Amino acid sequence: MTNRRHIARYSAFSLIKQSLTGQRWSRVWRHHDLKPSYDVVIVGGGVHGLATAYYLARNHGITNVAVIEKSYLGSGGSGRNTAIVRSNYLTPEGSAFYDRSVKLYEHLADELNFNVMFEQRGHMTLAHSDSSLRTMQWRAEVNRMAGIDSEVIGPPDVKRLAPAIDVSSRPRYPILGALWHPPGGIVRHDAVVWGYARAADRLGVHIHQQTEVTAIDVTAGAVTGVHTSGGRISTPVVVNCTAGWSSLVSALAGVRLPITTRPLQAAVTEPVQPILNPVVVSGSLHVYLSQTARGELVFGASVDPFNSYSTRGSLEFAEGLAGHVLELMPSLSNMRLLRQWSGLCDMTPDFGPIIGMTPVAGFYVDVGWGTYGFKAAPVAGEQTAQLLATGVVPDLIAPFSLDRFARGDLTAEKGAAAVGH
Amino acid sequence: MLLIHCPHCGPRNADEFSFGGELVPRPGPDSEPESWRDYLYTKENLAGWEREQWFHLSGCRRFLEVERHTITNEIHSVRDVTKGTA
Amino acid sequence: MPVQPGEVIDRSDIRRFAWNGRHVSGFGGDTVASALAASGVSVFSRSFKYHRPRGILTADHHDPNLFVQVGDEPNVRAGHRLVEEAMVVEAQNAWPSLRFDLRSANRLVGRFLTPGFYYKTFMGPRPLRPLYQRVLRRFGAGGTVGDGATQVHSQKRYAHPDVLVAGGGPAGMAAAIAAAATGARVLLVEENHQLGGHLRYAGDATLGLVAELRDVVAATDNIEVLTDAVVAGRYDHNWVAIVHRDGAREQLIKARVKCLVVAAGTIERPFVFEGNDLPGVMLSGAALRLTNLWAVAPGSRAVVVTANESGDSVVERLERSGVAVAEVVDLRTTGRRLVRARGRQRVEEVEVAGGRRIEADLLVTAVGWTTATSLLNMAGDRPIYHPPAARFLPGSLPDDVMATGGIVGDGSPDQIIAHGRAVGTEAGRRALRRASQLAQLTPRALAPSPAPAGEAAAIPRLEPADHPEIFAGPTDGFVDFSEDIRGKDLALAAAEGYDSIELSKRYTTATMGPIQGKLEAVNAIAIHAAATGATIAGTGTTTWRPPYAPVTLGALAGGDDDPVRRSPIHDWHVEHGATPLLAGQWIRPDHYGDPSAEVRNTRSNVGIVDVSPLGKIDLRGADVSKLLEFVLINRWSELAIGRVRYGAMCAEDGVVLDDGITARLAEDRYYMTTTSSGAGRVWNWLDEWLQTFFPRWDVRMTAVTDGYAAINVAGPASRRLLERLVEGVDLARDAFGYMHARPGTVAGVADCILLRIGFTGELSFELHVPAGFGLHVWKSLLDAGADLGVAPFGIEAQRIMRLEKGHLIVGQDTDGLTKAHAAALGWAVKTDKPDFAGRPELVWEGESGPERMLVAVQPADPQLVPPEAGQIVDGARIVGRITSSRMSPTLKRGVCLALVDAELARPGTSLAIRLPDGSNAVARVMEHHAHFDPEGERLRG
Repeated sequence: MTNRRHIARYSAFSLIKQSLTGQRWSRVWRHHDLKPSYDVVIVGGGVHGLATAYYLARNHGITNVAVIEKSYLGSGGSGRNTAIVRSNYLTPEGSAFYDRSVKLYEHLADELNFNVMFEQRGHMTLAHSDSSLRTMQWRAEVNRMAGIDSEVIGPPDVKRLAPAIDVSSRPRYPILGALWHPPGGIVRHDAVVWGYARAADRLGVHIHQQTEVTAIDVTAGAVTGVHTSGGRISTPVVVNCTAGWSSLVSALAGVRLPITTRPLQAAVTEPVQPILNPVVVSGSLHVYLSQTARGELVFGASVDPFNSYSTRGSLEFAEGLAGHVLELMPSLSNMRLLRQWSGLCDMTPDFGPIIGMTPVAGFYVDVGWGTYGFKAAPVAGEQTAQLLATGVVPDLIAPFSLDRFARGDLTAEKGAAAVGH
Repeated sequence: MLLIHCPHCGPRNADEFSFGGELVPRPGPDSEPESWRDYLYTKENLAGWEREQWFHLSGCRRFLEVERHTITNEIHSVRDVTKGTA
Repeated sequence: MPVQPGEVIDRSDIRRFAWNGRHVSGFGGDTVASALAASGVSVFSRSFKYHRPRGILTADHHDPNLFVQVGDEPNVRAGHRLVEEAMVVEAQNAWPSLRFDLRSANRLVGRFLTPGFYYKTFMGPRPLRPLYQRVLRRFGAGGTVGDGATQVHSQKRYAHPDVLVAGGGPAGMAAAIAAAATGARVLLVEENHQLGGHLRYAGDATLGLVAELRDVVAATDNIEVLTDAVVAGRYDHNWVAIVHRDGAREQLIKARVKCLVVAAGTIERPFVFEGNDLPGVMLSGAALRLTNLWAVAPGSRAVVVTANESGDSVVERLERSGVAVAEVVDLRTTGRRLVRARGRQRVEEVEVAGGRRIEADLLVTAVGWTTATSLLNMAGDRPIYHPPAARFLPGSLPDDVMATGGIVGDGSPDQIIAHGRAVGTEAGRRALRRASQLAQLTPRALAPSPAPAGEAAAIPRLEPADHPEIFAGPTDGFVDFSEDIRGKDLALAAAEGYDSIELSKRYTTATMGPIQGKLEAVNAIAIHAAATGATIAGTGTTTWRPPYAPVTLGALAGGDDDPVRRSPIHDWHVEHGATPLLAGQWIRPDHYGDPSAEVRNTRSNVGIVDVSPLGKIDLRGADVSKLLEFVLINRWSELAIGRVRYGAMCAEDGVVLDDGITARLAEDRYYMTTTSSGAGRVWNWLDEWLQTFFPRWDVRMTAVTDGYAAINVAGPASRRLLERLVEGVDLARDAFGYMHARPGTVAGVADCILLRIGFTGELSFELHVPAGFGLHVWKSLLDAGADLGVAPFGIEAQRIMRLEKGHLIVGQDTDGLTKAHAAALGWAVKTDKPDFAGRPELVWEGESGPERMLVAVQPADPQLVPPEAGQIVDGARIVGRITSSRMSPTLKRGVCLALVDAELARPGTSLAIRLPDGSNAVARVMEHHAHFDPEGERLRG
């Protein structure tokens, strides 16, 4: 119908040209009919599933891949998290893993040709007690060994980096110091989802939205296919990249997981002029906050106090959150909370994820991400793709295997499980 | 804020209680590592009616067995773990 | 304008205030917006993205164009906030001034600022990205946060209504009155400053009806009315948040509602056409409110675009107010359509179909209604689109939530009131039935009232009136005024593949602004549906999330504070210059000036330390020893009366939970201490085992942490000091040996417990005295021991001395993975006991050996104190860490505890500790955990 080409590449030039000539962008991702078979079926069209699909295609040339999403892309945790990225974890294996993720995030916009707006404004974890200060010191020492920019700073530096924070002795739990991590920051979560989806689509991956997995066929201990609301797919490989439903999807393949699902709530205020630059976290007060480029303050807290698959949210979350935020930044008292929401988090006993093989051949998991799945998505996708392509467990994810629980060899993040965001 | 009908104290706000997770039977002290760690770590994590333990921490301090729907948060029954009263 | 019959202003109450530095005035009862409009102001703000001038659109709380700064309060709704004398009001989002906003240059490049433009550009080169980000942030919307110095928090409160009615219009008032008549307690919550809903300004004919309803409400004892308040959220089990406003101050009210009646009415929808955001373009409700409530003429020459009665009544109302109505564009008849509005700072002319232009400074639109279903959504309802009425209607509601009024349908005032009355009666019935159920569930409730008899009330149908489906005109305009989103932006997003309404919302940010979709959601859905070839019903709504209207953080926080715990001796510590240490909820004395001197005095004379926060549990009954055998890893069956034993407890995964001592005071009476931070956890842990596993055991447990003050008296002179104060106990070494307990009288205080234990490694006695006498005993010790050199010591000195002795602190020297063997408690693990908490894991840990081990470490350089958390390294590999470290005043050298890989735990092993400067220090694993007096001669003294 037209001889004008649809524009696929994003740039300031194409933006201007398109605006002048009538918008003819190509679709971010295309519709496909469900094929009767794929080499790999990824369950979950969130950032983990899409990243896995993208790296399978890009790094390993495996493109006969379907991503099956029961709702719209990014409708789960990917679109509900507070989009914080950091790598200052407590353990050497955690630090190395997330450091790789930060590096991938730093180049993601160029690689995907989609501006994910990674703003490395710095990440500050406040300490209100000598024991949390000791844990900060521990993290800083471990981080430094891994070459990660991370140090303990005192209240004057906290004040300098975030003037709205009350570092006086007024609060019930005054601030004694903070772990300062300059490479940390925030990213636009939806953009990461869409960027991966668009790039995977370009490489030939099929994305199927509004398609729900209803059964997984396992014959003689190996995956043979997947039933979906759109029909059956034959496949030797299924990857469970869900959050919130990971126990249920794994149960379809007969795999039980050490996971409990908890809602994690977040909230956003009305926009105001810039008042906070870095990401601020207080483990003792169970709160983390950042200000978006639009001027809204985004708040999160720890997971709800009981298991649930509900995303309706609670008033006590909003009350506790407001109280804690005002402990840190009393000047925000007459800012208004605009919206609260929640997402589902799959909590593991040691706060480490579960990535890799399961007792069912061909059934892989990339689950159990607790409250920190978003920041891990690039590296989890990259490493899971490598595992699928090579059959060899990469070193970066070896500590996070499912069988560690039966072996009693838990990851050491459990060692000092403060609120981690 | 859920409302939990404590069999001893009556209907009370859930913030008086602490959640103890799904009920999992404790294997014998001489069990094999596999079954012991299954007890420690593996969860059914049901999306639906779940039998779970709550502790009326800021009330009668009794441990309660609660049937709750993990999607709607409806509560079906609450009984004392020892007394079996509905 | 002359006095209007329904006006809410008090013309005798003139209030002067500042608007952008200009002096203006209004009347009591005026909103900031109505007062400014009466003063001739038409531009109130600049829009978010393009900085277009914006004026009154809805003239109520939800007007997206009326966000202003009042003093240090950002984002104040000028359409709702009442004027106050000396108020300082400024426009937001305009620089340098509202009239000449330089950033309106964005309008020139507006065609490039398509939805998601930022996803497509600003990508390279990478070093410039922080600059892009700073520039983008400067274009953020919203007001300015002040220093918070003037802010006050209102305490929260609870309300206990049987029936809560959200919305004080005719249906809500009728429901409240009817529910109250059933005997139910009713809380009626209205967002505006007066009850009455749309009848306040719908016309003079119904004013009498409103007054009548208000009078009945006021005269009904069991109705509490809150105006200027909003039901902000409905949560699980009908837990409801109400925000009661009073200017800048807001109070949160919480209620467990037995039946919630939602009578939130409808919200008028804007019409999408070119120029629909020009000042002077407003909705019919705004025109009616301005004229009727505040006697403000919204313009002088108007065009009215109408598709319903509200628009029709505007025509009549404007004419009566002296506003010329130049043209009425009736969208219900064919052929005459609105094309666009033109003007610079406000509407100057209106173009209709055929290219005809009409000069006008006011354009009023009345094109339909959006139901305010937010609270119903929060109750799990999924509203259903009803095409004949062009609006969403409730789907199915839970039993404890009902709806009435405009949410349900339309009708004459009498029909609406009749519906409200029926719903109110039924709500009252349901609420009282629920009250009766709840009373029956309360074992000790006084005679529960019987459940009300009677059938469910018959509720008449309230049919939604037919309304044409009109969302957008032939030209394009703004859909979302807060976010500056046009119809074509939504169409473009759909074309690019963001083809579900949720994706479209996320990509364009439509409905994400401070109005939360109230005005724009249905237009956005309609335009998205048209762009994707879907129906509105098939597209569905986005999810409405709480709160219904934004709530200040101050109101949500209220005055809730974490409680502070203090020992009975706390004030003495403060008076004597103690540096406070926060330890959980406790405030404790860290030291009194010089912790090293406190250590030296205790080691050479005698010191006393306040250890009142220790957890204390009194255990009685025939089966206590069985419980101790089960929860503690070591042996308890043969503890003699008068003996004390150290015990550690582990979780079922073998990880150390807590430690402390337990004394056997009598045949069936034991006394357990726990760590200060573990007091609650241990108490609960014991209760859990007793109730869930051993319900038949005879154990009665009482937590007595606050019942006893505890003072440890330590040092070579401690016995001599106590001999002066203790009655009834022979303190001689052979009579009262190490790890023994005695009841006794101290400084005249009976019923004390004396324990020959201590953390310091000195001869020491721990006195547990009834809390009320704690301070007395403390002072008595100091008075009686002056000649012995007695002095208090703080937590820091105690920590130093315990580290000199190599005693571990659970949670500092252990972590969430440290099992008993790794914590060097393997000696205590009695695996020959058939069962105890954590046994299997400890058996396996014992068999395979721990992976890590807690060891005592001394740096080769005696002056070096490696920092706690310092890493122990083997090349680039981390092989352990320092868990505790101090300079020992006794040994005059650095002493440490460390968790190291098991192969490095052998005494004499040389370790490398990474120091903050990046260098490594050499240290040695010691033979004994105790750096000082490893044989324990002093403590047995």
